[in-house]
Amino acid sequence: MSQVIQDKIIDEKLEWSRINSDVIASMQAPRKAYWITFAVCVSMLACAIAAEMYQYKMGLGAAALNNPHMWDMYIATFVFWIGMSHAGTLLSAILHIIHAQWRKPIYRFAEAMTTFSLMTAGFFPMIHLGRVWNLYWVLPYVSDRGIWPNFRSPLVWDAFAISTYLSASALFLFIGLIPDMAILRDHTTGWRKKLYGILCLGWRGDDRQWRNFRRTYMLMACFLIPLAISVHSIVSSDFAMSIMPGWHITTFPPYFVAGALYSGCAAIMTLFVCLRYFFRMEAYMTTNIMEKTCKLTFAIAMVWSYLNLVEFAATWYGHNLYDKELLLQKAYGPYAPIFWAMLFCGSVVPFALCFQKLRRHMPSVFVLSIVLQLGMYLERWMIVAPTLSLAHQPHQWDILWGSVIQWAIVFGSFGWFGILFLIFVKVFPCVSMYEVKELCFHLKHEIEEEELEKKHAQQKAGVRQQSGGTVPSGSAGLEGA
Amino acid sequence: MSLKNVLENFSYFRQDAESGGTHKYEHRFGMAIDLDICTGCNSCSTACYAENNLPVVGKERFEKGQAMHWMRIERYWDEQEFEGDFAEQGAKFMPMLCQQCGAATCEPVCPVAATYHTPDGLNAQVYNRCIGSRFCSNNCPFRVRYFNFWSYYEDSWPEPLNMQLNPDLSVRDKGVMEKCTFCIQRIRVAKDTTQREERPLKDGEFLTACAQACPTNAIVFGDTMDPDSNVSKLWMKHQVQRGPFTHKKEKANEELRGYRVFEELNVDPSIMYLERVRDTEV
Amino acid sequence: MSLKVNRRKFLKMLGWGGAGTALAGCDMPTTVTLEEGKEEVVSYLMPEEYVIPGIGVWYASTCTACEAGCGLHGRVREGRVLKVEGNPSSPINNGNTCLMGQAAVQGHYNPDRVTSPMMRKGGSLQNVSWEEALAELNKRIGADSGLKADKFGYVTGTISGHQSVLVDELMEQVASKNHFVHETVNTTVWNAVARDMLGDETPKYNMAKAGVILSFGADFMGTWGSPVHNMGEYAKFRKREIRGVLVQVEPKMTLTGGSADLWVAAAPGTEGALALGIANFIIDRGWNTVDVPAEVRSSLKQYSLEAVEKLTGVPATKIKRIASLLSERGPSLVLAGASTTNIENGYDSAASVMLLNLIMGNVGETIEASYKFPEKSLRPKQGNTKDLLLLAKALRDKKLDVLVTYNVNPVFTAPDALQIREGLAGVGFKVAITSFPDETSLLADLILPANSGMEEWGTHVPAYQPEDSLLSFQQPLMEVIHKESKAFGDIMLSMLKMRSSDFNKFADYYGYLQTAMMNMPGEGTAEERWNSMLQTGLLKASGSQTALTPRLVDIKYDVEKGSDDYPMHLLPSPRLGMWDGRHANIPWLQEAPDQIAKVVWGSWAEMHPKKAAELGVKNGDYVKITSASGSIETQVYLHKGMHPDAIAVPLGQGHEEYGRYAKDRGVNPMKILDPLMEKRTGELASFATRVKVTNAHKFNLLIKMGGSESQAGRKLVRTISSDVLRRTEGEV
Repeated sequence: MSQVIQDKIIDEKLEWSRINSDVIASMQAPRKAYWITFAVCVSMLACAIAAEMYQYKMGLGAAALNNPHMWDMYIATFVFWIGMSHAGTLLSAILHIIHAQWRKPIYRFAEAMTTFSLMTAGFFPMIHLGRVWNLYWVLPYVSDRGIWPNFRSPLVWDAFAISTYLSASALFLFIGLIPDMAILRDHTTGWRKKLYGILCLGWRGDDRQWRNFRRTYMLMACFLIPLAISVHSIVSSDFAMSIMPGWHITTFPPYFVAGALYSGCAAIMTLFVCLRYFFRMEAYMTTNIMEKTCKLTFAIAMVWSYLNLVEFAATWYGHNLYDKELLLQKAYGPYAPIFWAMLFCGSVVPFALCFQKLRRHMPSVFVLSIVLQLGMYLERWMIVAPTLSLAHQPHQWDILWGSVIQWAIVFGSFGWFGILFLIFVKVFPCVSMYEVKELCFHLKHEIEEEELEKKHAQQKAGVRQQSGGTVPSGSAGLEGA
Repeated sequence: MSLKNVLENFSYFRQDAESGGTHKYEHRFGMAIDLDICTGCNSCSTACYAENNLPVVGKERFEKGQAMHWMRIERYWDEQEFEGDFAEQGAKFMPMLCQQCGAATCEPVCPVAATYHTPDGLNAQVYNRCIGSRFCSNNCPFRVRYFNFWSYYEDSWPEPLNMQLNPDLSVRDKGVMEKCTFCIQRIRVAKDTTQREERPLKDGEFLTACAQACPTNAIVFGDTMDPDSNVSKLWMKHQVQRGPFTHKKEKANEELRGYRVFEELNVDPSIMYLERVRDTEV
Repeated sequence: MSLKVNRRKFLKMLGWGGAGTALAGCDMPTTVTLEEGKEEVVSYLMPEEYVIPGIGVWYASTCTACEAGCGLHGRVREGRVLKVEGNPSSPINNGNTCLMGQAAVQGHYNPDRVTSPMMRKGGSLQNVSWEEALAELNKRIGADSGLKADKFGYVTGTISGHQSVLVDELMEQVASKNHFVHETVNTTVWNAVARDMLGDETPKYNMAKAGVILSFGADFMGTWGSPVHNMGEYAKFRKREIRGVLVQVEPKMTLTGGSADLWVAAAPGTEGALALGIANFIIDRGWNTVDVPAEVRSSLKQYSLEAVEKLTGVPATKIKRIASLLSERGPSLVLAGASTTNIENGYDSAASVMLLNLIMGNVGETIEASYKFPEKSLRPKQGNTKDLLLLAKALRDKKLDVLVTYNVNPVFTAPDALQIREGLAGVGFKVAITSFPDETSLLADLILPANSGMEEWGTHVPAYQPEDSLLSFQQPLMEVIHKESKAFGDIMLSMLKMRSSDFNKFADYYGYLQTAMMNMPGEGTAEERWNSMLQTGLLKASGSQTALTPRLVDIKYDVEKGSDDYPMHLLPSPRLGMWDGRHANIPWLQEAPDQIAKVVWGSWAEMHPKKAAELGVKNGDYVKITSASGSIETQVYLHKGMHPDAIAVPLGQGHEEYGRYAKDRGVNPMKILDPLMEKRTGELASFATRVKVTNAHKFNLLIKMGGSESQAGRKLVRTISSDVLRRTEGEV
């Protein structure tokens, strides 16, 4: 096989009609496995709801929080979900801007993941409030008593950042769906036709619509990138704005963003494998794409590891008693197993991605991605818990390991995410049909050009022709067979 | 603080604690706690329970670390003595309560401004406003903020124990942060009295419950803005000042006993501790 | 529960509150808390006299949480006492309180109080009316009961003032001598030594004047003498121009030991030898300020540094240091407490310690003559454990037909080996005058609910009178909570009325007390005296001062040898807070951590880490402590404030009854004590029991306050040397 063929993202000979039918098929007739998964997710959520009801009634003591551990797994899980939401933006917005073609078959479910993980994450700050019924006090609504939230508090910034990011990413997801909605409108009946008819916003696929669509999409992408970075920077300031050792760290914003992209990529890898397997999407979610995803993940893992090293070095050479003690406690104290597990999962395991065999072997990738996510969850927990345990005041030192209620809610949050995602894949196309078509089109051109070039090279050595096709920007045919 | 006000007086409001802050104080209540005569007997802590409606949490909740003692006596063993066979210099006791910091770290992080600085120099906690995000406690280096993890009132005061509850302050329900208030109810009564009688507050006119109970009078309470108060005199004598961290070496006499805990964090605590003394000849 | 306070009557009873101490009125308060409408609303328009809604009024009274007799001010608002503070005019506590005083309100409002008279009917206790109860009592002890004099017994704790007079009257009426005065936490042996060697049982120990205090197990800040007063004196002692030095010799670090400049662990039971060794060294060097007879000199010779070092395990250098401290930093004060005195040869140990006071010339210097209250009958009868042993003997011999107990709990505080519980079964009729259903009361045939210390009148003459002699006055701070409970004085009067008509002229104890007090000599009219007493809570009487007459006693000191079967010493150490266990039903005190171990809500055993390593136990592990008389199992807490040969189990827990907060919590070390006696005084040698400690191979988290035991380099509690202090603050 030639290099071109081997690096090919997708089989360019895919019939557009087949793309349509494959994707539509994936949205219909849920199989037994789907329903089982769905039932598992619902029961997980039920656990969480039961736990939350108990906690709501009894108070946060039910979660076994205590004086130094005012926050615990809730906040760690919150950061975890927020982090996960970054991958969608990375794939759809950043890679879109830098014209990385391979994102096209997989960005849709990544975007959905973004939105749903934000919807999951948003629950945690609420769940962890002592008086959740007064949640709205965080918002700057006009009150006749002239009471405002405290704009200096990172928690208020959080509220703004997350709500903005959630609405922006949901909008971005929706905009990206419009051409596909039109395809679906034309290929479905019943309630689906009605739904897609509404959602496609009268898409006909004419030139003006395409032009406006691309402009809007690009604009949203540009808007979303700084937003995504700022959201996680603000989440990091929940910690970095405090004076606690282990939290008060200047590199926290980039560290959090890197960690977020990292865990997001790992999550994409997991869902990639699942969708590929369950929906028989081998033709779209190809091993080549997986390889690229893995390489990207590896790069981000290295950035994350580097930022970790920066943090450790800054602490070590900073000679701040509290920080240094905390670092030592993390490395040698009661948290040591978790600390080393985190470093192993986060910084050592990604080296497995250096091996092409593993990158192309889906079961391995699946296992690796789970391990990476575990590492990232541990990282979040290692940020939250040890600082609370072992801060300035040694009299209040205490080690706390979750509790049943906390676990139930954290566990249930995965169920909630699963429910949302499972519904999504059956209602909306998890592969962007129009972009795959676009991709095939480009690829075909490229290959043709290349073959042509080869031929030319063989035939008339020295004669070169400009390569690279133009984007058929007015091609209404993209949406149909 | 309207937006207009903020914009017009921006340069004033952005003054940080080190350059004087933006608070206009009527009083700045503070303490001086002499660790040399503190015996660690727990009387202050119990007096605090009695005065401030602190719930008894019981064994199981104490085990979980959910106790509500606003004032706790910390006991440390001398590190050097871990070498020897016996704790030859006794134990180290430290009454730890809210330090009512001038540049409190708990205040800026509260999303709803439930904890704020009063003109009396206190970090007030408004129970009604608190939504229980608990960031304040996480950001308190002294860990002296206590959270109502449960509806403690439900079983802390079985009848007729509830008749002892001090009606001058509330009983807190679940989900609210609370902490030492320097017995703000006593401050209120004293301030109302002085206001009506049109006279300044006298030193020692009222004391916090802990200072009043202390069998050795190790806790001296008063207004640090009043130069004639006992507490001010002690602060001056030990060359401890309000405001940003001054290194011990910057004192005219660096051997003086006064210091503030975690002063290097620049939180401007209102409590000065006096170093414990041990005889070197023994 | 509904509180129906007849305020007019209440205030008539109260008399004039301390006007000077009352919080002056402020603007009309805007809030009056009502508990679900259960409380009567106090009208703003027409409040009762002296009741200003929202304003607390302070009344003077006396603390009954221990025997020290501290003066209190109780804050009363809308008819309820809310908080107590120290009475600044009381020379005992000078306006301060300890935690037991602060928590006394929870004893008063305790949910587990006895609310009605109870009588045993068909084996079980049943609520009865006062009429029925008193009729039954009359049948048993009344003039026609045929009660034989020596068959009547009365058990109380330390008792003084007019309550004591009434008990005396009753004993006289019955012609019985069986008044047992029992206190577990006492200084009886030391007092006996003071009586013999100084001529005064309770001289004034002027700590503020001392330059060095050498204390042999005297936990004077916690459970020795008058703790709050001592702590105040201690503060002055530390703040002397030259800061006083505290040296504490004891096998278990007490609260006092926690503040020591030098804490020394002598082998348990050898403190006397250490004292003699120090004395010998001092005399050897000629540092003594008082001449010592030659025979004493020669008898001390055997306590050479080497011998004492070998015996006590205290290095010779340290003994020399202590001796030179006593001479250089004097005037000194040497004291002995439970771990030194409550052993079989405790008297001789204590006498050895007192010898130091004598040779250092402390008598007249730091040990001063004290004032005794002029009215002898009001002076306190100090509780001890000798009476407990006598009671046990009387019960064993079935000498008693009727036994009255008042706020004592011998079933709990006596070792099982004394068989008090079994003995009580042999008593025909047992009456318990008590506020709480404790172990002893629940064995009684008749329970009479007593008022709390905040509901009744009384007078107290503290045993330890630091200043001029005084009587501390107890007045009710509020109307009784439980309608059926009665003041001790009233119950006593009813009992007396059964025996003699002389008492019929007193309608109630208040009337009796008022008559008695107004008849006491003093300045001004009787009315004025009475009013001033109500206001100040005190009656100062220029008492007589007994001159101190130091003399030596014969000391026959020898260290007891333990058996190999039971190698360790069990220390049932009392602590400020739980005291002897009487405060175990107060939730605040259960939740107030032990001062040294910081454990809450339970029992623990303190051990030295070295010994624990031998046993293979760590914090929270259970150990089994076995004596010849029984065994207990509890968790250990390890610290270096212990002698390796000792295991300390604090007193207070292990109640089988006594309300929801105390019941079934921890273990009671008193239970397994051997019934050993201090040879000279007949006291229970509570620190003499030897035990065997084994690993019970069980673990539970030790429930204590605090995470890290060390400061982890934080310098929270900073320590400087006294040299620095001298440069900066001392010798101005």
